[in-house]
Order: sequence, then C-alpha cells, then structure tokens
Amino acid sequence: MSGVNEPTAPGDRQWPARLHGLWQASQDVADVTEMSRHVYTLILTEPGVLAVTGTRWRHGELRYLRRATAGEPLTTTAGPPRATAAFPPRPAPGPDSRPVVHLHDLGAGHGALAPEGDVLRDAGARWALEARFGLGDGDGDWAAICVGLAGRPEPDADLVPRLVQLSEVLVASHRRVTQSREHERRQTEDAFLAEASLQMDSSLDVQETLGRVARLAVPAVAEGCVVHLFQRSGRLTPVASAHVAAVAQPWLDGLARDDRWLAALLGRAVDQGEDVRLSGAGLDGGPFGPGAAGPGTAVRAVTVNALRARGKAIGTLTFTYQRDLEDVATPRMLRDLALRAALAIDTTTAYEQRRRHVELLQFQLLPRALPTWPGVALHSAYEVADDSLDVGGDFYDAVVDRDGRLALVIGDVCGRGAEAAAMTGLARNTLRTLLEDGTSPANALERLNATLLDQSANRFVTALVALLTPTGGAEYAVEVVTAGHPRPLVRRAGGQVEEIPGAGVFLGVVPDIGVEPARLTMSPGDTLVMFTDGLTEARSAEGTMFEELLPAAVAECAERPDPAAELIARASKFRTTGNDDTAVLVARLEGRP
Amino acid sequence: MTAGTGTGRLDPGSVLVVEDSPEDTEAIERALRQTHPDLRTEFVARGDGLVEALLAREELPGLILLDLNMPGVGGHALLAAIRARPELRDVTVVVFTSSTSPHEVEASYAAGADSYIYKPVNFRLFRTVLKGAVDYWRQQSGPGTGL
Repeated sequence: MSGVNEPTAPGDRQWPARLHGLWQASQDVADVTEMSRHVYTLILTEPGVLAVTGTRWRHGELRYLRRATAGEPLTTTAGPPRATAAFPPRPAPGPDSRPVVHLHDLGAGHGALAPEGDVLRDAGARWALEARFGLGDGDGDWAAICVGLAGRPEPDADLVPRLVQLSEVLVASHRRVTQSREHERRQTEDAFLAEASLQMDSSLDVQETLGRVARLAVPAVAEGCVVHLFQRSGRLTPVASAHVAAVAQPWLDGLARDDRWLAALLGRAVDQGEDVRLSGAGLDGGPFGPGAAGPGTAVRAVTVNALRARGKAIGTLTFTYQRDLEDVATPRMLRDLALRAALAIDTTTAYEQRRRHVELLQFQLLPRALPTWPGVALHSAYEVADDSLDVGGDFYDAVVDRDGRLALVIGDVCGRGAEAAAMTGLARNTLRTLLEDGTSPANALERLNATLLDQSANRFVTALVALLTPTGGAEYAVEVVTAGHPRPLVRRAGGQVEEIPGAGVFLGVVPDIGVEPARLTMSPGDTLVMFTDGLTEARSAEGTMFEELLPAAVAECAERPDPAAELIARASKFRTTGNDDTAVLVARLEGRP
Repeated sequence: MTAGTGTGRLDPGSVLVVEDSPEDTEAIERALRQTHPDLRTEFVARGDGLVEALLAREELPGLILLDLNMPGVGGHALLAAIRARPELRDVTVVVFTSSTSPHEVEASYAAGADSYIYKPVNFRLFRTVLKGAVDYWRQQSGPGTGL
C-alpha cells in the first residue's frame, strides 16, 4: 500500500461538467445511497475501471459494503460479510481530514484490501485505488471508495485526483443529508412535544391525561410506552401504557406490573437520577432483545426517564423500541417530555387535592341530613362551581323548633375562600340556634344582621327563612322572610307557579334591614322551592338567564323524585356562562287535598 | 398476520386507505409516497359495500388504514363488519384517527383493530406516525414481504 496524493490531473474536457452535475445532484438527494449511485455511475465511465466498491466503517466495524460494475447495478450488503476480525485494520482518517488515495496490489494475497479486494478481484481487477475519508461524525467514523483496475495506474493518472474530488462530493453530500435529517428529526420531535403538551392541558384527570400521552407517543416515539407513578405506599405502579399492536398490549401491561428486571431498571432511573438507555448486550437478562421470549424478542432498545417535579421523583416514563437504533428518540426529547409530563401530573394532582379539600370543607358547612317532619318531604342539592378552587358561601338548613314547627333556611355569603367559609358557618349556626329556640324568622335575620355588624365583617350575606306551621287540618301556614335573597317560588298542586313577595336588604351592611314577612297557606301537593342566585344567573350562549325558564322548570320538576337535583341538572345543562355555586332546597307537602 | 388463509390471497405490498377527508387522504398519500415509495396504495372515501367488495377480490390488501369518523357506515361499524368475516381475518386493520380518548381506543380494540394510531395535525409528525405503523406491521409480517 502506498500513498499517491495530489498528482497532476490533465483530465478530459467533460470531467468538470460531469463533476459539476454531481455537485448539483448532491444538493437534492434524500440519502447517501442515492448519492452513491450517482458517484458509482460516473466513476464506472472512467477508462480502465472494472468495478467500484464503497464501505462505511464505525469504530473498526464495517457497517455496509456497496458494489457496482458496468454490468451490475448498485447492491448493498449490510454489516460485515464475515467476522470483523478477518479484516486487517486500516488506519482511520481524522473526521475532517482531506481524502487520501492509496494504491493496493490485489495480487498480494486474499487479505489485501479486505473485504473490497475479493469483490474487485471477482470483477477481474488486479490493482485498486482506494480513497479513504472521514465523515465528520466523530473519530472512527469513515468511509472508502475503491476502484478496481486491470493494470497498475500511473502515479499521475487522472483517476487519482478524480477519486479525491468524488470523495469530497460524498463527504459534502453526507454532511448535508445528516444535517437535513437532524433538522427534520428535531422538527418532528418539537411537533410531538407540542402535541403532547396540548393533550396534557386538555384534561385535569391524571389517569386520562397519561393515557392520552402514552397513546400519542406510540408509534410517534416508540412502539411501546409505559408510565409508572409512585403510590402513597412508595411503590411504583403502572398507570398508563400503550403499544402499537393491540395484541402486545396485555404483554406490556404484564411486564409493567410484574417484571423484576424492568422494576430494577426503573429504580435505577429514579435512584441514580440517570436517563437509562439500553440496547444490544445491555438488554441481556431482561424481557427484551433476541434472548427474550414472546413480543419482547423484537425490542431493540429501552429508555427510562424519571419524572421529577419540584425536586421529587413522582414516577417514570419508559419506552420500548423495535425500530432501528438510529431512530430511537434523542435524550433531549425524552428529557423534555419527562419534564412536561411531570409538571402536568404535579399540577393536576395538586389541583385534585385542593378540590377534594374544598369539597370536604363545603359539605362540612351543610347539614349532614335534613330532618324528617310529618307531611313534608325535604330535598336539597348543592353544586360546586366547576372551575372553583375555593369554598363557596351558599348554605341551607332545616330546623324543627321547640314548638314542633319546621324552619327552612337558605342563604349565600358574598365571595369565596376561607373568610367566606367562616362567615357561612357563623350565619348558618346563628340562624339554627335562634330558630331552634323559636325565634321568629324576621327576628332571627335581624339578630344575625346585628352579629355580622358587630364583627365588622366586610362581606354581606343574603338569606331567606320559611317557617311552616301546621294549622290543624291538612294545610300549613307559611311565613317567608327574605333579606336580599332571591324570592322563592311555590308550585301549587294544580301546576301554577307563584313567586312569594318579600322585602329586606342584605345582612351585614346596615342596622335596619327592613324585612317584611310574607304569609301564605300551603296545601298537600304544593311545593316550596328555595334557591341561591347560582340557579337563576346561569346563562345560555344566547345570553338568556335560567331565571326566565325557572317557573316552567319548577312546574315540571316539582313532582319528580328529587326535584332539587333535577333543577340543578337542568341549570347546568343550560349554562354556558355564569358558573357559580348553586344550592336548592325544596319542601313538598305530601298527599293530595 | 399470516398469509393466504382467507378467500383472497393477501397482497402484503398493498395498503387500502378508508378515509373520507380529502385533506387527510392527500396527506396520507404524500406521507406514504415519501416513506414507502414501494407500497401500493388505494383510497376509498366510504365504507358502504366495502366488505362485499373485498370479498369479491382475488387479492386482499395486507393492511387497511381506517378512519373512524366517516359518513354512512362509520369506522366502528366497518371494523366490526371486517372482523365478522373470517375470510378477512389476515388483513391488518389500523385505526387512524384524531382522538386519543381511552374510550375510543378500548372500543376499537374490542372491535378487533390491530392498532390504534393517533392522527396528528403536524405533517412531519403525521408522516412519522404513519411510517412507524407501516414499519411495525412490515416487521411483523417478516422480511422479504412488502409489508
């Protein structure tokens, strides 16, 4: 082997034009194979060239061998045709060094220029010129094009500089294709991250969100995806998984749940804060790779990333890949996805926790059960505003006083949050205590007003009290007092709906609330419906308030098994804006007159 | 997927796309042309009469790419109709749809879909997803076959 660099090149007149055409082609090709075809076709037109080969090497290992002769089009053999050790090592060029041309005597034995020598000899070549060049992907990544010749070339043969020029075209083409692929891949990964973020934002249900993300990732990122989360017990438990093949889904679920090798791998990602990335021999001993059984055989790589939020590991994100190793997701994308998923889970979990606390506190502010009172069926319903993370101020109650009368209460503290909750408790308990003692509704509201003013509370309260007194027959005398609260409705047994008049301003603002009790008689079959403004102010997309539909809704719902829940359900269905807490309390006088 | 147990011979190099949206049809055609130029693709916009048409063929497509939301016979009904015919059992059916709802996935799997693939809006991602699904089933059907 001897170096024959930079000889003189007289060249024919067509060569520059053909080389120019090749440079142009190098700007359009989609992959290096296509470019090789152009180069080999051109080089085979050179006088004396019997065959051409191309080899690609990485860290001493042959990646593929291409060959072409005048009569045989380009063929590619992937990987080494025999054991790599059989090839005498050739010094790898530096990643950015210029192509170097070497002359080889193919008659010097079968080991000469292996593995290309055999191919070229088969085509009748006795001598070979080899252009060796680095591909710029790091040390140890290089390629060679060899031409087989019948006779020994002159040191100043045109072929030598031409091989250098063709190698330069291949290097440039490789660089452009690689950069273009990297760009394409990054764009695709960014598009995936954007879609994943959208999915994560679309639901506040952790389980559903993770299920959607896993489904989105398959096969965009990998063939299989599993998300594990730490449970309160400290155990990592699979919460979502997806596989590109329906038939492999149970297999993946089983592994995610029970496989010890995988569990150890997840532990490694969590404990050592390491992004795990395994392929080849790294998969030995586990349920993946050629040595494994079942669907795992086809798995070529596995990645695991810990999910961390606020410095704490909350779970893991695992992918299984059956695709080429070069198509395995980049560490950048996996880290980014894990980060986004962890934040989404953390936010959603915090939201769910807060919402649970709010609901718990809210229901603590309401009576656990309504009393039973002869002849009257009581129904109540409460709906917390969908998007609220604060306790609301709606309340209701039903109290049987010391004289056996039934007092019904409904009210609303302005605003939300801890202060509103405290005032709700105060208002409800004050009214309950007073009404139990037999205080009249008007007096009870005036006393509550005085209490609120004493406390200098900066919130106002609306309230309504209805006192039902049996008259001895089938009828009841009803006294209704309102203080700034929506007026209740009575649905008579015959179906007509009446609004009960009332006067009185909000509680907690001025000393004189000016209440004026309204008195009416109710008979069996009549229904008294009390509610907070969340019901009346539910607004449709067209701007109509539910208040306008309420009398008709009350007429229809009064005889239903649970009229309170039915009214709230109707308002919810109707509502597109005006999302507020809603309370409804209904007293239906039983029996027909 | 094994070849040749139904009435028609399975043509693993052919894909039948059932898709009513012209935009999605164009995107699928463009994506597959770029990633699998060797694949023969055929497009139909409606599911009505499709099972009967398939049964009358001498060669069945190796893979059917099925949109769920279509006028007339919907994707779910078509999937069920395909799976009800033993002659079509070797045809791989990939549901390709714009929902990631776990409910839809479960319903499609219960009806016999081989894959449930989300249809992204971004074309690069769309092409990647489609390539991933076709490559997967090509790998399953073994080397040397078109699919």
